[in-house]
Amino acid sequence: MNATATPFMADPEEITQAEVDARVDQLIRRTIERNIPGLADLPQTESDLEVGPTPKELVYAQDTAQLFHYQSPVDEVYRVPILIIMSPVAKGYILDLAKGQSFVEYFLNRGHDVYMLDWRAPRANQSQLSLANYVQDLLGNCVNQVVEDAGEPDVTLVGYCMGGLLSLCYTALNSGGPVKNLACFTTPINSDGMTLHQRWVRSKSFDIDLLIDELGNIPSELINASMQALRPLQRNANQLSLLNNVQNDDFVKASMRFERWANDQIPLPGVMARDWTNDFLRDNLLVRNKLILGGKRVDFGGITVPFLHVAASFDHIIPEAASRDLINLVSSEDKDEIVVRGGHVSLVAGGNAMYRLWPKLDEWVSARSE
Amino acid sequence: MSDKDKIDPVQLMRDWFIQSEKMWSDAMTEFMADERVANSSGRFMQEALHTQRMFSESMGQYLSNLNIPSRNDFLDLKDRMSQIDETLNAVLIELRDLRKQAGTESTASPRKKPARTRKADQDSSSPASGQKKTASEQTEPQSSQT
Repeated sequence: MNATATPFMADPEEITQAEVDARVDQLIRRTIERNIPGLADLPQTESDLEVGPTPKELVYAQDTAQLFHYQSPVDEVYRVPILIIMSPVAKGYILDLAKGQSFVEYFLNRGHDVYMLDWRAPRANQSQLSLANYVQDLLGNCVNQVVEDAGEPDVTLVGYCMGGLLSLCYTALNSGGPVKNLACFTTPINSDGMTLHQRWVRSKSFDIDLLIDELGNIPSELINASMQALRPLQRNANQLSLLNNVQNDDFVKASMRFERWANDQIPLPGVMARDWTNDFLRDNLLVRNKLILGGKRVDFGGITVPFLHVAASFDHIIPEAASRDLINLVSSEDKDEIVVRGGHVSLVAGGNAMYRLWPKLDEWVSARSE
Repeated sequence: MSDKDKIDPVQLMRDWFIQSEKMWSDAMTEFMADERVANSSGRFMQEALHTQRMFSESMGQYLSNLNIPSRNDFLDLKDRMSQIDETLNAVLIELRDLRKQAGTESTASPRKKPARTRKADQDSSSPASGQKKTASEQTEPQSSQT
């Protein structure tokens, strides 16, 4: 063997494991840097992923409710403020994912005064919060706070998913109140359209009381799993799709933000979960106008304010069948329903939302906000 | 031969899975919605809850003896942090209210308060159509099903 050979020509026995490791490491790094431009710029950790970038202030907080007011970038806004009501199991930053991909930012730039009711995880001693508490106390107090803070007697409610359900119940129970307009996205009102979850909770062996006794609040992992069961392989498909687009930085970042949000669910207070399971999923009281909250019957026929319902045709979480009766139950003379091609999340965030839904909603709200 | 002309069998497999995912998912969901499966899921959940309680009680004792925090200890800590967070929120709200009373603008929003005089554009939709819009709104490609 030639003793003066270059390292690559050296006798394999003379090369140490550490040298091999170093060379392989260098080779891989160089390949990545050359072939995947900008990979180094990708967020290394979840906290590097900036979400919710629009400046906001906390206006009010009570139990699990947090009311935020977003800073307006314009000099002139519509008279009637918008209050967005998030689902109690989902974080509000899905509507403010990143600059240029934000529902909130869009509406601020279009001259609306935007508030958001976002939810915190309940503590162990908050497991007694019920659906009635969420509607009448937490949402009710936040609506009053918006009225006081904005100095206007009217407010437009925009509810997403279960947030839509809370908005509907509040508006139905407080006709003649400050709600001037009501818009609901993918709002479940008929559990007959949610076959899998309804069958689970109607099975003899399902015991929601046991679950609550043992766990107190329903953990977000359980909520996440029950959502994933509605489309068990979707996450795998999304991961493969990410692999197909790994060279596209924007795609990867957007995908990471969505993934973070999808895994960032909020636990549900035990009693609220029991109300949801028994009154809504099992007995389907809402669509039959038989739900009683705080001693009052929730009758959607009592809703007379301008009303907009938006459903997504490929929504597997709240299928169209679970919400399509809503438009007929509401008594408003000024009512509209839009069915957009898309899924539960892409309806409100992402390209589908940005170019289709947001301008429609802006048009609808603006015409009724003077 | 350009990169585009090359056939990547792994990518083909991935594309096939992405395209057919909904079909497989629907089949699995239909299986889970079967009454017998729903019944056994409920039973499994009950057993899992009992097992978890027994396990966490016995493990809690061991961990305590070893001076190692258990999951419950972390949950207690989370609760305490949530309480602190809530107290800080109350302070922030109080400060905001004081600033408002004093007539000074917030540090987060040093701009002048916008006037509530904006009017809808001339081309805005007219209220009260009462029509259900479906086909005309279906413009997004089918791939956006998230």
